[in-house]
Amino acid sequence: MSDTTKAIFTGDRCLSCTSCMANCPVMAAVKAYRGPKLVAPAHGRMHFSQEDIEESLNYCSNCKSCDRACPSGVAVSTLNMLQRAEYYKKHEHLRHEDMLAHGERMAKMVRMMPFGATFANIGMGMGKALGVFSALGLAGERTMPAYAATPFKDAFRRIKQPPAAKKIVLFTGCYINDNEPQVGAAFVKVMNANGCEVLLDTEFNCCGSPLVVTGFLDEARAHADNNVKRILDWKRQGIPVITPCTSCSLMLKEEYHELFGEHDMHEAAENVYDAFEYLELLQERGEFNDNLKPSGQKLLYHVPCHLKSQAIGLPAANILEEYLGAQVQTADAGCCGISGNYGFRKDKYNISMKIGEKLFARVKQRDFDKVISDCGTCRMQIHHGTDIKPCHPIELLAAAYA
Amino acid sequence: MRPADLIVIGGGLAGLTAAAVAANRGQKVTLLTYGSGSLPLASGAIDFLNAKAPDAAIKALSAHHPYKKIGFKSIDAAAKFLCDVAAQANLPYVGRLSAQIPVVTAVGTLKYSALVPESMDASRLADKRRIFVAGINGLKDFYASMLVDNLKKYFPDKIFDAVKLDLDLLGGRDITCMDAAQLLTGNEQSLADALKDLNSTDADAIILPPILGLEGNDARTVIKPQIRADIIETTCLPPSPPGIRLQRALIKYLQRSGVRIYENSKVVRGVGDGKKITGVVVEGAVREKIFPARKVILATGGFYSGGIVMRDFDTPREPIFDLPVFFPMGEGNWSNRGLFDNRPQGFSMTGIFTDDKLNPVDENGAVIYDNLHVVGANLGGADFIFERSLGGVAIASAYRAATI
Repeated sequence: MSDTTKAIFTGDRCLSCTSCMANCPVMAAVKAYRGPKLVAPAHGRMHFSQEDIEESLNYCSNCKSCDRACPSGVAVSTLNMLQRAEYYKKHEHLRHEDMLAHGERMAKMVRMMPFGATFANIGMGMGKALGVFSALGLAGERTMPAYAATPFKDAFRRIKQPPAAKKIVLFTGCYINDNEPQVGAAFVKVMNANGCEVLLDTEFNCCGSPLVVTGFLDEARAHADNNVKRILDWKRQGIPVITPCTSCSLMLKEEYHELFGEHDMHEAAENVYDAFEYLELLQERGEFNDNLKPSGQKLLYHVPCHLKSQAIGLPAANILEEYLGAQVQTADAGCCGISGNYGFRKDKYNISMKIGEKLFARVKQRDFDKVISDCGTCRMQIHHGTDIKPCHPIELLAAAYA
Repeated sequence: MRPADLIVIGGGLAGLTAAAVAANRGQKVTLLTYGSGSLPLASGAIDFLNAKAPDAAIKALSAHHPYKKIGFKSIDAAAKFLCDVAAQANLPYVGRLSAQIPVVTAVGTLKYSALVPESMDASRLADKRRIFVAGINGLKDFYASMLVDNLKKYFPDKIFDAVKLDLDLLGGRDITCMDAAQLLTGNEQSLADALKDLNSTDADAIILPPILGLEGNDARTVIKPQIRADIIETTCLPPSPPGIRLQRALIKYLQRSGVRIYENSKVVRGVGDGKKITGVVVEGAVREKIFPARKVILATGGFYSGGIVMRDFDTPREPIFDLPVFFPMGEGNWSNRGLFDNRPQGFSMTGIFTDDKLNPVDENGAVIYDNLHVVGANLGGADFIFERSLGGVAIASAYRAATI
C-alpha cells in the first residue's frame, strides 16, 4: 500500500460512472442527498480550496457502500468525512453531535459516579420518556444502549486465564467495554481455548469512528496517534492487537491511513486483526482448537458493511459452519441503516429505519435459531427494528468450547 | 477455509452468469468482486452480433473468433439460461438468436438486440396508431420532443404526442431514471394515475424512460392492467434501471443458490501447482488472503475494467495470472482515428486467446492452466463493441466455462 491510497489522492480516479449512486442506501432512502459521486469526488475536490460547502454531505452515513461499489478505488466515503471536518471548522457542532461523538467520555464520567451506570440507565429511560432526547436532537424512538453494571475493563480483571506463552491484545472498542461486556468475555474464552493469553491495554482510546463521522477530526487524529503508538509498541513485542468490533478494526486497519496518510498508521495496521480473521489464520496454521461441541444451529448472518469492506471473506461463517455444524444463511439485505451513531440522530432516524426495512423483513421471517452479526450497532438496529436480539458470532463459538 | 469448487473473479454480466450456471449445477461457488460491475451502467438488452439473424452470422464467423471456441450449443443454452434466471425475478425477456428486436434509445433512435427485457420491446410499436412519448417533470436527460423528432423518421405514418407527466419528484436533487424508479417503488399509483389521464386506447403506445422500479417487472405489473395503451420503456443514461434489474435478478439467484459473494476483494495473483491453479490471493488494506479453489473463472472485464492493463504501447498485461495478451502490434494499428469508425478498433481486439475449453493458451496454442477459464471481455481477437457482441460473448463464454 503506497501513500496514494490516502483518500485525498483517490478522487482523481473517479470516472463519474455512477456505480456508487446505484449502490448508495441513503440515496435510495432520501431525495435530498445528492449522492456519493457528486458530493465526494466531484464537489469535494473543489471545496478543499473554496469556502462553499455541499450541504447534502450531511446525509452520508459512512457505511462505505460507495467505496465497495467503486471500480476505480476511490475512497468516496472517507472523502465525505474529510469534507465534513472542513464544514465543522466554520460551523458549530450541535449538542447531539457532541454527545454522539463522545460516547467514550460520557461512559467514563458515568463510571466515576457511585452506581453511575444504574442511574445513567434510569436517567436514559426517563430522558426517553420525557422527550429530553428528542429535544436534544436525538432520535426519541430509540432506546439508548444501556450501560453494563460492570464495564469489561473491570470484569476482565476477575477472569482467571490459563497461563499461555502466546499473548494477544484485545481492543474492546467502546460498545463491548461499556454495553456488551459478555462479548469481551466470550472473546477471552475463545482465545484461551486456542492457547492465547489475552492482555488488555487500558491506554487505548476509542478508535475514533464516532468522532470522524461527526466531524471531530482533530480529536480523532489524537485518538489515532495514541492508538497507533500503542499498537506499534505491541507490534515490537510480537503481540497482535485483535478486535471483535468490525468498525473498530476497519478504522484501525484502513481508515486511519486513508484519513491522515501517515506511514506509521499503515505499519500499525499490519498488527491489527478482526477476531475471526485471526481465528481463521490459526486454522490455516493448524493451530485452531477444534474441540467444539457442534450445535447444528440455523443462523441468519447479517454481514456488517464495515466487515464487507475488509476483503477477508466471511471467516465467522466458515468457522461456525465447519466446527459447529451450523447452517449459516447470509441475510443479503444490504446495510442495516444505523451506521454507527447516524441512526441515533433525530433527523436521520427515519432514513435509518427506511434503509433497514429490507433487513427487518428478512429477520422477521424467523426461519432460523439465532441472528448473528459482528457489529454492535448493527445488532442494536436489528433488535430495535424487529424485537429479535442478535448476538456476536464469537458468543456462539465461546459457548461451544467446554 | 475449505476450497470452493469454483471461484469466479469479477461481478459483471459474465462473472454473475458463470457463478449462476455453476451454482445451478450444485457447485460450491465463491464470487470475488471489486467494484459493482458494469450492469448498473448497461441497458439490460443483450446483443449477440449486429446482424438480422445473429445465429447465422455467428456460424459464419472465422475460426479464431471466441464464439467459435465457445460453440453454438453453449451460446444457445446461455441465452435460455439467462432468460430463465431473469424470469424467476419477474423480469421476463423476449427474443431469440435468429432475429433482433428494436429498442428505443434515450434520444429516440432504434437499436436492435437479440434478447430484450419485455418492457423495452419496441417491435410492439409497429401496429400502433398513436404514440405518446412521456417526459417526467424534474427528470434529467430525457427530452420527449427530441425523441418524437427522431422516432418520426422511423415511423412517418404514426401520430406522435410529446407529453409531460408530473409525478411530484421535484425538491431535493436532480432526479435520474434510477431515482425516479426508486421513488415510484411502492408509489406506483401516482404514475398509473398520470398515465390514465392520457386517455389512451388499445391502438396506442406510451413510451416512457425506464422508471418502472428496480425489481423486475414488479412496478409494471401494478400499472399495466390499468392502462389501455401498451407501455414501452427506453434505454437511459446510467445509473440504468434495466441494467440494475438484471443485476439484481442474477444476484438474487446467486444468493438463493448459496453462492458467497465477497465485495471489495481485489485479486492480485493466483497460487498454483504447475498447470493447476489452487487458489487466488486477495489484497486487503494490510494483508493478503488466499482463497482456495478447484477451478477459477477469470471474468475481470478486459481493457475497460482493469482485466487487462497497459502502461506502454505493445505491452498489455493480464495483471492477475500474467497470462499472455494478444494485440495488434504497432501504435498505428492500435486505434482508428474515428471513434465511430466503420472498422474495428485495435485496442478493443486486445485480449487473451484460449482453446475451446476457454483455457488460456500461449503463442503456440499450449494451455497454460487447465483449471482456469477466461470469459467475457477478457477474450481477445474480436472487437465486441464494434460487432455488438459484448453481452452475448459474456453470457455464452460464462456458460461454457461453468459447464466444463
